[in-house]
Amino acid sequence: MNVAWVTFKKELFSYCVSPVSWVIAFVFYWWRGFEVSATVRVFAEYRMDLDLLPTQTYGLTSTFLMVILVPGILTMRTFAEERRSGSLETLMTAPVRDGEIVFGKWAAAAAFYSLLWLPSVLLLHTLEYGPFLAADLAFGPVFAAYLGMFLLSGMLLAFGCFASSLTDNVLLAALLTILFDFLLLRMPQQLGVFLGDASRNYYVRELLDKLDVQRNFSEWFSRGLVDTSQVVFYLGGIGFFLYLCGISLSARRIA
Amino acid sequence: MIRVAELSKRFGPVLAVDGVSFEVARGEVVGFLGPNGAGKTTTIRVLTGFHPATSGRAEVAGHDVATASLAVRQSIGYLPQEVPIYPDLRVVEYLRYRAALKGVPAKARAGAVARAMDKAGITDVARKLVGQVSHGYRQRVGLADALVADPPVLILDEPTSGLDPNQRRRIKQVVRDLANDHTVLFSSHILTEVQEVSSRILVIHRGRLRADGAPAQLVAGAARRMLHVCVRGDATTLRAALAAVGIAPENVTANGDGTTTAHARVPSQVDPTPALAERLLAAALPVREMRLELPSLEEWFHTVTEGCDSADEVAAAEVAP
Repeated sequence: MNVAWVTFKKELFSYCVSPVSWVIAFVFYWWRGFEVSATVRVFAEYRMDLDLLPTQTYGLTSTFLMVILVPGILTMRTFAEERRSGSLETLMTAPVRDGEIVFGKWAAAAAFYSLLWLPSVLLLHTLEYGPFLAADLAFGPVFAAYLGMFLLSGMLLAFGCFASSLTDNVLLAALLTILFDFLLLRMPQQLGVFLGDASRNYYVRELLDKLDVQRNFSEWFSRGLVDTSQVVFYLGGIGFFLYLCGISLSARRIA
Repeated sequence: MIRVAELSKRFGPVLAVDGVSFEVARGEVVGFLGPNGAGKTTTIRVLTGFHPATSGRAEVAGHDVATASLAVRQSIGYLPQEVPIYPDLRVVEYLRYRAALKGVPAKARAGAVARAMDKAGITDVARKLVGQVSHGYRQRVGLADALVADPPVLILDEPTSGLDPNQRRRIKQVVRDLANDHTVLFSSHILTEVQEVSSRILVIHRGRLRADGAPAQLVAGAARRMLHVCVRGDATTLRAALAAVGIAPENVTANGDGTTTAHARVPSQVDPTPALAERLLAAALPVREMRLELPSLEEWFHTVTEGCDSADEVAAAEVAP
């Protein structure tokens, strides 16, 4: 695990000194602050049920952009840039296991992504002590929503690492990941419409429901409910895409 | 320490390395020579485990490159042709990162990095960002990276490429110093450099190994030697005298002071000078100078590589319908 830890530290440092990371953080918080403020005003004005607040913040455009765009932008350089600059050669000819490098890079992306979400806790804090609501937010839904976001983003970042390992074009890697993210969010619903009557079949319905990320969040995580099968689904997705990423790198040696 | 047997590497329809075999013993410094695109880098990439071989076998420090890649990579320090950069790290941070990646224990890391920087001569840029140092320094950062874990085998792919004469001199000195307790395989297309540093050279051209031996030995065994003749007389008479002993001169030059000089390549196993001397005396051409020289390494290299081209073309023409 030494190599994974060394890689994690180096990659996290690179994220922290990259201007792109700070532009993402700035745009996200500027937008999110505006949206949360507007949402809270609506809740205060119409005296709405505060339990709905986490669900509402999940539906904000800033959340959507964080899920659709940011994983692709964060992971696009992980391997594509190494391949483009030639540093993949020095990396892969060092005495390292491919899996350790992949895990270290993914963990750094996941850690930085989590850091991007961290200040949003302050936004929730202002709801409790701020001038608008003086709300007493339930801990469960908030914790479950963060857990869900961590699991989902972990899977998207794992796919991003895999996409980045396939090409030396960082833009193509980002676009592949964004396309995957978009399809994951929209496809299960569209597939249900496309299948028509067939989607009423119990098993098909169950499968589509499990795959439906938006439903997982609106009906489960943001209500404080954590379904083990969903956790397994996302952890499995993380493992699957990291494995594919490792295979993609190893293929160079066994081709 | 390095053993390569019938190694081939194909990229689609292109056969980059074609049945190459050689061995490098412990403590030997071997120059890997060849024109651009000859297959040097591909062979090196197979040895470092970056590319798989299409066929054949390669071993480094007793480990098979195909089946024990990790053990092979633990035994080598590799400087690639293009030293890649992580522009956001300082030189010392980059080397610490590489040392950690290569498993240098945390307590020994600072010392190992300092020693590698000292050997490569980059201590003065230790705090600079890698992206801000010149090409020459970047090349030496790559060399320090290859040295940092003190591996028994060093594989250096064109280590002096793009360096100024002083930097080249320094790198050559480093390689010479390493020879005592390391096995070094370094590629280059600069002949003098290889001659100065290595005890043995391998010449690869068009994916095939064309020569293997000590530079002086290889040149001594060259197929042709150079004949220089200078006589007092005219060019026509000299040409006639040379033709009479079966020598076709490459050039005959009138020097303007009544003397004429001719150069010709003659087969190594033949010494035409006694017969030529007699013929020149008979033609009343006083001999000012006559000598038979071994070719320079550069001439020899040209013959081995370009000569092979001609031979290959002739062979291809003979095979073609």
